[in-house]
Amino acid sequence: MTVKTSTVQLRRSEPRSGLGGLILGAIAALLILLWVGSNGYKQTLVMSAVTYALIALGMYVPYLMAGSLSMAYSAYAGIGGYAVGLISTKTGLPMVVAWIIGPIVAAVLAVVLGLVTSRLSGFFLAAVTLLFGMAFTAFLIDAESITGGSGGLGNLRPLNLLGWTPTPYQMMVISVIIVCLTAFLLDRMRLSPWGVIVRTMRDAPRAVEAAGVRVPVLNLVALAIGAAIAAVGGALFTYTAGSITPETFTLNVVFLAIFMPLIGGSGTPWGAVAGAVIAVELTLNFPALETSGTLLLALGVLIILLVAPHGVIGYADKLRTRLWASLRKEPHGG
Amino acid sequence: MTDLQLWLSAVEMGCFFGMLALAYHLIYVGAGFFNFAIGPYAMMGGLCTSWLVITYDLGVWTAATISVIVTLILAIVTELGVVRPVQKRSGSGELPALVAVAAVLFAIQQLAGYVFGYPTLPGQSLATFGPVTIGDVTIQPSSVLMIVIAVVTFVVTAFWIRFTRTGRLLRAVGDSNHAAALLGLPVNRIRLIAFLVAGFIAALAGILFAPKAGVHSLSGLAWSLSGFLAMVVGGTGSVWAPLLGGMLLGLVEVFLPYYFGGQAHVYGMLVIALIFFAFKPQGLFVRTVRA
Repeated sequence: MTVKTSTVQLRRSEPRSGLGGLILGAIAALLILLWVGSNGYKQTLVMSAVTYALIALGMYVPYLMAGSLSMAYSAYAGIGGYAVGLISTKTGLPMVVAWIIGPIVAAVLAVVLGLVTSRLSGFFLAAVTLLFGMAFTAFLIDAESITGGSGGLGNLRPLNLLGWTPTPYQMMVISVIIVCLTAFLLDRMRLSPWGVIVRTMRDAPRAVEAAGVRVPVLNLVALAIGAAIAAVGGALFTYTAGSITPETFTLNVVFLAIFMPLIGGSGTPWGAVAGAVIAVELTLNFPALETSGTLLLALGVLIILLVAPHGVIGYADKLRTRLWASLRKEPHGG
Repeated sequence: MTDLQLWLSAVEMGCFFGMLALAYHLIYVGAGFFNFAIGPYAMMGGLCTSWLVITYDLGVWTAATISVIVTLILAIVTELGVVRPVQKRSGSGELPALVAVAAVLFAIQQLAGYVFGYPTLPGQSLATFGPVTIGDVTIQPSSVLMIVIAVVTFVVTAFWIRFTRTGRLLRAVGDSNHAAALLGLPVNRIRLIAFLVAGFIAALAGILFAPKAGVHSLSGLAWSLSGFLAMVVGGTGSVWAPLLGGMLLGLVEVFLPYYFGGQAHVYGMLVIALIFFAFKPQGLFVRTVRA
């Protein structure tokens, strides 16, 4: 009997549908879109935030849910970007194909890298995946006949969806919707039985393995999903920027992507999105702090790590649950 | 592989990586974790020295001393301000410490970029003598210093670890923080000493190596990875193991690009990392414990 009541309470305290997050996220996205208007500079800012958000969301799955810090995400985003670049410049295929092929290739590569590094964790995994990111950049520069070397690929074709070519503004709206949908779906996934297993695996891999779940397979799936999401981000960025070079997605981006969920809050995927918005605001849209924005961000991350391990949304969520509780009490009491 | 000049270059790289790996090794022995901020420490040593000499026209030795002090302060802040509180809060979990160290690495890079600017600065040589010629090999004074000081550092560290009280305490604390604390050993002080000595060695390595290819604020990450790899390849069994690991990486770093083109060493590093991490994560030298 006691068990039953406790589960009921647990359910009540945890949002079941993830709809609350979606509504809040959609409202924030709408406000941002209204703020941007037709300002070209602000549109590039939003596209940067979208890219960061998707890379951070991609990392969210293996890093915060499965607990393994893979840092090869510059490569995955780069694959998404180069898929767009290559399809556009070297083939006559419709551009949509790039959006499908890029994430698939990235996911396959993530699985291969995951298989090779399946015995590694922690510092060793971080080191290998960082080296992989470096080797990928080196490959992009070396394979000049395919990737255009250090000059990269430019002059990309516009997208053509059944005769409709989206304007940059429409493209931005689509990208923001993609981010919101991804965050929402990841939030749902986190609360689904699969997500619960993955999160349990992070904390007690042996128990999960003993319960009959194949932990290594689960890990690979998490890595593949993450890589595919990051590749979508890379593709969107490359498409709107109109070009890609080996320097487009550097290891700096990876570091920022690790920090974003911490800034926003690691409890929900929306934290990664909030962190991406804050990161772009600090690093790109702070004229007075042009060069020191990234430094501020880095120091801010250290302070958050030490003082507020649940990030901005963690605090907001605490407030919200308190508010909710007080609101719920009223009808019952009256 | 008969060009002696290349071998010399490889040895010099090896000494540099070896010193970085030694810094890793000391913190690993003393505090039981891998401090990825070692590379940025070395970058700070080299870049701060160059910047002080170029901007303020200071003497090399004064500049180097200031840089070493700055790096030591960074090392203390890393341990007292970040690693210790995070480890205390998260217990034995590795991930929070790793993320914290990544944040430190990133913050030091950004700090260096903000203060010293983003272009590559030429390294400043501490040596005052001219190039040494042996046969048909010309040794730059900076290379002589790098190799000699690396060897001296290793000898002194080996002696320190083996024969002094602090060295023995370091090993005792590293074997088990918990047991050492139960025995009443000054765990926190020993950890701090490990960070200080490692920071000093890293800064020294950075200052000595900077003349070879210059230094910029983003050099730190690559150096961190090279040092880590050198330490893993060497193993943690002996103080000399990092030097061996460093030498192996030095050979890779010099000869692969020579035979296979400019970027081959990056692939080489990845392959070595994959092979060693997968098949021999304990490294070449392992301390065997008699039962």
